[in-house]
Amino acid sequence: MAKGGLTSRILTPERKLSLQVFFSNKLAVVGLVIVLAYVADALIVQFAPWLIGLRHPFEVIPDYSNPVPQPPSWRHPFGTTYPGIDLLRAVIKAIRFDLGLSVAVVVPGALLGIVIGIVATYFGGWVDDVLMRLTDIFFSVPYLVLAIAIGYALGRTITSMIIALIIVWWPLYARYTRSVTLQVKELTFIEAARAAGASNYKIMFRHILPNALPPVLVQMSMDLGTIMLVISGLAFIGFLPVANIPELGYLTTLGLNYINTAPWTVLVPGVFIVIFAVSVYLLGMGLMDVINPRRRSSL
Amino acid sequence: MHVGGVYKLIAVYINPRLTGAARQQQIQMLIQKFHLNQPVYVQYFYWLASVLQGNLGYTNTPVFSGPVTQAIALFFPNTALLAVLGGILTWLLGIPLGTWSAVRRDKPDDVAIRVFSYTLYGMPIYLIAVILIIIFAVWLKVLPISGTVSARLLAGLPWYKNGISYPTHVLLIDALIHGDWYIALDALEHIILPSLTIALAVMAGVINILRASMLEVLEQDYVRFARSKGLPERIVINKHARPTAMFPVYTNFAYTVAGLLGGVVIVETVFNYPGIGYWLTQSMLNNDMGGIMAGTLLFGIIFVTTSLILDIVFALKDPRVRLG
Amino acid sequence: MSAGREPIVTVRNLRLWYYTRRGVYKALNGVDLEVMRGEVLGVAGESGCGKSTLGLTIMGLLPRNAAIVDGEVLIDGFDVVKPLREYYKKAKKFRPDKNEDALKRLHKEMTRIRGVKVTMVFQEPMTALNPVMPVGYQIAEVLLQHNMSLLAKRRLARARATKDDVKEALNFLRANDYAGLIEYVKAKGLEGLEDQMLAIWRRRDLHDLVKEIRILNMCCDPVNPIIERGLKYTARTNKLPAAPVIRQLVRRELVKEGYRKAAEFLGLLGMPEPEKVVRMYPHELSGGMRQRVVIATAMINNPELVILDEPTSALDVTVQAGILELLNELKQQTNAAFIFISHDLSVLYQVSDRVAIMYAGKVVEVGPRDAVFREPKHPYTQMLMEAVPTLEPHELKGIKGEVPDLRNPPKGCMFHPRCPYAMPICREREPPMVNLGNGHKVACWLYAGGERK
Repeated sequence: MAKGGLTSRILTPERKLSLQVFFSNKLAVVGLVIVLAYVADALIVQFAPWLIGLRHPFEVIPDYSNPVPQPPSWRHPFGTTYPGIDLLRAVIKAIRFDLGLSVAVVVPGALLGIVIGIVATYFGGWVDDVLMRLTDIFFSVPYLVLAIAIGYALGRTITSMIIALIIVWWPLYARYTRSVTLQVKELTFIEAARAAGASNYKIMFRHILPNALPPVLVQMSMDLGTIMLVISGLAFIGFLPVANIPELGYLTTLGLNYINTAPWTVLVPGVFIVIFAVSVYLLGMGLMDVINPRRRSSL
Repeated sequence: MHVGGVYKLIAVYINPRLTGAARQQQIQMLIQKFHLNQPVYVQYFYWLASVLQGNLGYTNTPVFSGPVTQAIALFFPNTALLAVLGGILTWLLGIPLGTWSAVRRDKPDDVAIRVFSYTLYGMPIYLIAVILIIIFAVWLKVLPISGTVSARLLAGLPWYKNGISYPTHVLLIDALIHGDWYIALDALEHIILPSLTIALAVMAGVINILRASMLEVLEQDYVRFARSKGLPERIVINKHARPTAMFPVYTNFAYTVAGLLGGVVIVETVFNYPGIGYWLTQSMLNNDMGGIMAGTLLFGIIFVTTSLILDIVFALKDPRVRLG
Repeated sequence: MSAGREPIVTVRNLRLWYYTRRGVYKALNGVDLEVMRGEVLGVAGESGCGKSTLGLTIMGLLPRNAAIVDGEVLIDGFDVVKPLREYYKKAKKFRPDKNEDALKRLHKEMTRIRGVKVTMVFQEPMTALNPVMPVGYQIAEVLLQHNMSLLAKRRLARARATKDDVKEALNFLRANDYAGLIEYVKAKGLEGLEDQMLAIWRRRDLHDLVKEIRILNMCCDPVNPIIERGLKYTARTNKLPAAPVIRQLVRRELVKEGYRKAAEFLGLLGMPEPEKVVRMYPHELSGGMRQRVVIATAMINNPELVILDEPTSALDVTVQAGILELLNELKQQTNAAFIFISHDLSVLYQVSDRVAIMYAGKVVEVGPRDAVFREPKHPYTQMLMEAVPTLEPHELKGIKGEVPDLRNPPKGCMFHPRCPYAMPICREREPPMVNLGNGHKVACWLYAGGERK
């Protein structure tokens, strides 16, 4: 390790400890590797599908000449599902689709929630009250049901599904950020910043936000998994009135009539969701260990 | 609301024998009557007003057509039974597993339970349902996968009319009340898989939280103090550690109920179980406004009420909250 | 202050290491100590010297990353640390979960001893008490677990006693004839009555008349005959009857009796309105009251040894004085031995008969209180005594240097890096414990040239 210079400015002792704590948790590392694999899949399918020989990266191609599901073989490593869709290809495409959807929900939802949370808590008073009541309202609706309702109002498209889930999800981040902001708000360095003449905006986003980020980021990573479960659940019950979309829940429905004879049709897409959700959860737990000051120093 | 939807909404009321100008006239009249030409918020106001007067509208789905209130009477008891059974199973299985996992920390039992609960946590509910179906209905062939009861058993029953059973509307309980063990057993067989699915989905979260909470509690001074009194380990765990460790489980329960309600929708759909979730899904697929609006309202009410009741119950259990 | 000559606890060459993510802390490095029956042994030292760990080890209440590398802790011949020591000797690599197995076996065996022979008072009363249980139950729990017979007997005695029985018993009390009272009670088959009467009689916060009224009320309190049979069974066998419903009823009666006795005991400890307090929860009580609850729990079953780990450090000074007074009284009234662990020498001076000074996991000096305080022999002890602020002005001297990092303890004598008298041998070998006569022992090379132990 070079003394001075760029390396030791990036790798401060604190960051080194963080890395050490994280990598000592074998499960978290496994989670990280798998999540990265999924991300790589998504990126390749999105930007360079020709690398792995996919000619139609954004939809699933049925083959009506051979619609009955075939068991796994050399030609079709995961078998096929009705109507003649190769599961390996379908899953690779679906990973990108589902992951993209999850990110499209979690990132805006988190942003919205964080901003509202910080603003509401920082200003306090009636602003806080109003925004918190708003949060409570949205918190009290079961997300699947709201998604269905919005789907009815705006039409059952991918966009409306994303919007519905963002609406349901941001209150969680608002609550999280709120509790962190409450803690940080009273600390003296905020007063010092204010005495030095920093504007409210600056205080909120340059002082409070960096402190709120770590637990929020952990929650975001775990939510990627949870949201994917919800999205595939919605697709499963038929929310999207489109055929041949590369979506893991939708793929599962294709095999429902063949449970008796061809169980792999429902198991394969499901397994890939489970792997992702579990990995992202393990990753999140590993990150929680990293940011939790107690766990850093004890056995 | 888009135009296609409007037409569907009033399709029920259009006299099919009218054609041409008369038909158009009736359509216009219906549009006026139902305020469909007014902005959305005005329509909502009319809907809300009529809801408060007890009229929840009409639903028009393949599984049921008619007044919403009737649909609720038909479907709600089934969902209630499902949710209650699911909750009981979660409690019976989840709490012991969570405690055991914490007490036997890092041993093979603990590892097995953790693998089990992490996997369950990452499974979408429909997958749990499908796997259970594969195991019990396909391989073992012991349990049915559709509906609440085999239809042939219901022919000619005095206490079953038009899909509703009396007096409690819940088939299983009514069968028990009337002493008809055969039907009761059949109903039980039909409800095991759906409630087990729900229980497994919720259990994952419970086990995780309980385990983490127990581990924290077991390091506390009062647990050590209890041991120092010479109390056997069993009493220390069950009377001192676990009650306090349960609090995070309680506070998280409201969040769990939200997920549970969503889960009910999916589970009922997979198992063709005629409950509110199933009705809601059918409404969604058929763009049935009456069903969707009433369903959303119903779920909202259920959620708020349950959360409120649970909050009160758990607050009562905590002496610090009550007296402090 | 009748201190017996036989030891109730013997610690020999105790070595304990904590395995943590940051290294292995050698917390105890060959502790040799004896506690005699009926005495108060003060254990002094700075934070980190291992005194708390020593107390916990005697009780067997160690965390799973604590390894017993060597040594014995004998309570009346029973070796507390045997399972852990045997595990460590056999294991090639230390694994906390396997150690925990040994620990769990230890807990099982210790249930006979804890709460019966040895009890412990913790430092922080707020965290020691279970926040969601009434304090009276927590006190009574000791009796419900180990001595149900006493509770049953008390209840039966009150049921059987007549007005006349009670009046006669009162006469014995007025004459301060406790022995006579006990005989009388036995003769009449009213065992359990004396326990209640004495508890009231000994209180100092009640007027004599009030006491007499309460004692006269201890009669004619009949019990449902079914429950009575169950109680007789329990009184005889110290177990609950097996029959399902009767079992619950008897237990409920015993719990009520337990609350009663807890209230009596708290009254003895000077707690105001104890009958109300026993139904309350820990967060409703003040610090001093909570600590009295903890002490009541520790003493209610007449243990032979009570270990107090910094019992007053979490309390403010006036409350502290009250607790110390209380302890002195208990010392007079019972024949239990006490181990009083504290870093506060002035407190130790007030309560101890003998004092042991610990440093870096070893006992460096031990002896009668006055000998150690007035004529400290070990350099560390001497510097400790000089560092205590007293009312007479004197120069406060600190001790140079720092407590050693126990992951890397110094070779030879632990204190040599800070010792002004350090000699070459101090850097090489650990000094043995030398007997200076009168029970005063020191572990220091300055004296080891003289008499051997």
